[in-house]
Amino acid sequence: MAKYLGKRIFYIILTLFIVSTITFFMMKLMPGTPLTNQAKLTPTQIHQIYKQYGLDKPVWQQYLVYLGGIIHGNFGTSFQFSNQPVSYLISSRLGPSLIIGGQGMVLGVIAGLIVGAIGAIKANTWIDTSATILSILFISIPSFVLAVLLQYYLGLKLRLFPIADWGGFMYTVLPTLALAASPLAETARFMRTEMVDVLSSDYIELAKAKGLNKVGIIYHHALRNSLIPVVTIVGPLAVNIMTGSMVVENIFSIPGIGEQFVKSVLTNDYPTIMGLTIVYSAMLCVVLLITDIVYGLIDPRIRINK
Amino acid sequence: MKINSLAKLGGVALVSALILAGCGSKSSQGTKKQEINWMTPSAIQTMDTSKMIDLYSAQVANGTNEGLLRMAKNNKVDPGVAKSYSVSKDGKTWTFNLRHSKWNDGTPVTAKDFVFSWQRTVKPKTASQYAYIFANVKNAEQINAGKMSPSKLGVKADGDYKFVVTLDKPQSYFKFMVTQPEFFPQNSKVVNKYGNNYGTDSTKNSYNGPFILKGWSGTNDTWKLVKNTKYWDAKKVKLQQVNYQAVKTPSTALSSYQSNKLDYTTLSGTLAANNKNNKAYTVFPQASTTYMEFNTKKIPALRNVNIRKAMALAIDKKQMVNKVMQGGDITPKGFVPASMAKHNGKDFAAQAYVKAGTDYNLKEAKTLFAKGMKQVGKKSLSLTLMGADDDDTKRATEFVQSQLTKLPGLKITNSNIPFKSKLTKMENQQFDIGLSAWIADYPDPSNFLDLMTSDNSYNDGKWSNKEYDALVKKSEDQDANNETARWNDMVQAEKILMNQQGVVPLYQQGQAALVRPSVKGVQAFTTSPQYDFAKAYVK
Repeated sequence: MAKYLGKRIFYIILTLFIVSTITFFMMKLMPGTPLTNQAKLTPTQIHQIYKQYGLDKPVWQQYLVYLGGIIHGNFGTSFQFSNQPVSYLISSRLGPSLIIGGQGMVLGVIAGLIVGAIGAIKANTWIDTSATILSILFISIPSFVLAVLLQYYLGLKLRLFPIADWGGFMYTVLPTLALAASPLAETARFMRTEMVDVLSSDYIELAKAKGLNKVGIIYHHALRNSLIPVVTIVGPLAVNIMTGSMVVENIFSIPGIGEQFVKSVLTNDYPTIMGLTIVYSAMLCVVLLITDIVYGLIDPRIRINK
Repeated sequence: MKINSLAKLGGVALVSALILAGCGSKSSQGTKKQEINWMTPSAIQTMDTSKMIDLYSAQVANGTNEGLLRMAKNNKVDPGVAKSYSVSKDGKTWTFNLRHSKWNDGTPVTAKDFVFSWQRTVKPKTASQYAYIFANVKNAEQINAGKMSPSKLGVKADGDYKFVVTLDKPQSYFKFMVTQPEFFPQNSKVVNKYGNNYGTDSTKNSYNGPFILKGWSGTNDTWKLVKNTKYWDAKKVKLQQVNYQAVKTPSTALSSYQSNKLDYTTLSGTLAANNKNNKAYTVFPQASTTYMEFNTKKIPALRNVNIRKAMALAIDKKQMVNKVMQGGDITPKGFVPASMAKHNGKDFAAQAYVKAGTDYNLKEAKTLFAKGMKQVGKKSLSLTLMGADDDDTKRATEFVQSQLTKLPGLKITNSNIPFKSKLTKMENQQFDIGLSAWIADYPDPSNFLDLMTSDNSYNDGKWSNKEYDALVKKSEDQDANNETARWNDMVQAEKILMNQQGVVPLYQQGQAALVRPSVKGVQAFTTSPQYDFAKAYVK
């Protein structure tokens, strides 16, 4: 296990290294500088501003400085927010994103498993059909549309939850629902298919023949075996949540990194874009690693090190 | 100020939101709690007035700090830290008599704080991107270029309460300039204490304005202005608190307004169109013009005045404003925006109005175009129209394209690229026709007219007219100290620009917004700081 983990962590670092290198050089190819009134600045001032951002050095030196900074958690200074370190910008906004992302993921997956399992158990009844329709709806409606609908009906009309902003659990409800929809639908569809398969397999038939009660069969045999393939989609779902959060955070005015990412792209704030790209990549790598470990825990056949 | 993508974003995007959970709704439900909830399209970028480059930070700074004078309605100024001022006969020496006022930490605001701040902004080490606005202050350009010591700047503290400024040339609108954040005083003790971190959050700053900034962490989207009891005119400040919320999604902002969580929200596009009958609907004209520039350097045909005039006449600006842009934008009267500058009670734009400059007449356009093409000996012309890639600009360029292609023989291709690339390309004359926007830094026509002089670095298309240059120069030199003569020079210059169609004004920007009717006394300006809450109250 330790050896496996070590190997995986090495790969994560390698991935992040490649990601940061590619982002760095891509950003160098893009137009745009921290200068706002270039035409009106004196050469001395331009030099001063470049120096402040370390842009007066040759690109290879900038690259080394940049890599060195990353190791120390320093992503440079934001172009947009004067004198604000990108690392502070990210760390102060990471919390809200993790909260709604995490809640959305947990809610989506758990609710999806339940909906999927019910659909499979009641296969080909009206319950199953409704569950399927629900899933298709949630997959087809983009999160930003759902977000606005939630905002309008639950926020403005019924006044159950705050429309936007950040400040406690109540504020997380609508964004969490908007984010959870897509993972919920994906999980439900996957779970239903898997479980229908499992329920018709021989060992379930055998269990039934042995006279085990239905709840026991589903809980002990069907559920666990259906879960294994479902775990594989958790990684892609996490990506789903991360990209979804950029839009959802904007709509609900959540001071998170998704919202920041959109803003930094729109304002050509390259240091922030680079910092956030690395943070997003790191989060994804970690999610994938956890998924693989969990995978082993659930399915002894692929338990690591065997 | 070139309108940057963020400002654009502001126009496009709206706001939303709730302000602090509980207090939000109360103020707007008719109780007379003196608290309002204000939306802004963009978070604060910095509170260091030497480094401020965006309108939204400047608006906050205007609430929390005060310069020598304060912007007032009707193109006037009110006393600020200076209770009075006098200008020498030659117009070059401005003497400000400061009142005894205090920073929020209780220390006095003195002339030395102004000297410190102005020198700090101008010296190259500070790397202020707005330092050029000081250009007319004696020696500012030399200091800014690193050729002179900052102590040589033409400012002097004569005792603690007399501040004397020496200008290179007389500048009647200097009174407006000193209302802007770049000209605010800075508390040297606080600046030195925080060094590079000065102004990066609400605690690392010093305030001398009607309000104090609280709750801004440097990166968050909500903050508040709380009444400053140490402000010299605190007695007249009625609001106890202004809760700011940065909201980027238009529909969210509107919903928040509708649920009483916001008392003000900007509107754009269809949201503005849908709310035109709401009694809270208000349009705030901005001193900002969106216009078309011709690259006369690269495309010889565009040096022909008939071709330029034809293109101007072929665009129906009314339709553009009402059907395409839909927000609060206004059909233009000329290059210099309307309701910005006045002299003897007369609006500049009305006085310098040239009908043909902003009119629509397709028939005439076709005639002129044919004539122009004959003059340059061409049968067809294929040009690229360059603009930024935000939604508003895209709609604008598409509309302009559809209008211009009605001229037989003219082919227009659109190129919408990221804002900064557009800026760079246009500055280097890598375009045929470009869509640009400019917002005035201070409410004086010169701020626009200067742009189109032959040697101005923002004259991207290099349109050049000797008479125009001469008039602008005259207004800055021999007529600089004579208000009326100067004004007339500028009116003449604008008329030449329109008659020659050096640029084609497409629309004047206007901010459509909903403002809760119970909120009274908010002063709105066409230039920065846009809104002033010092006299606002809730009824």
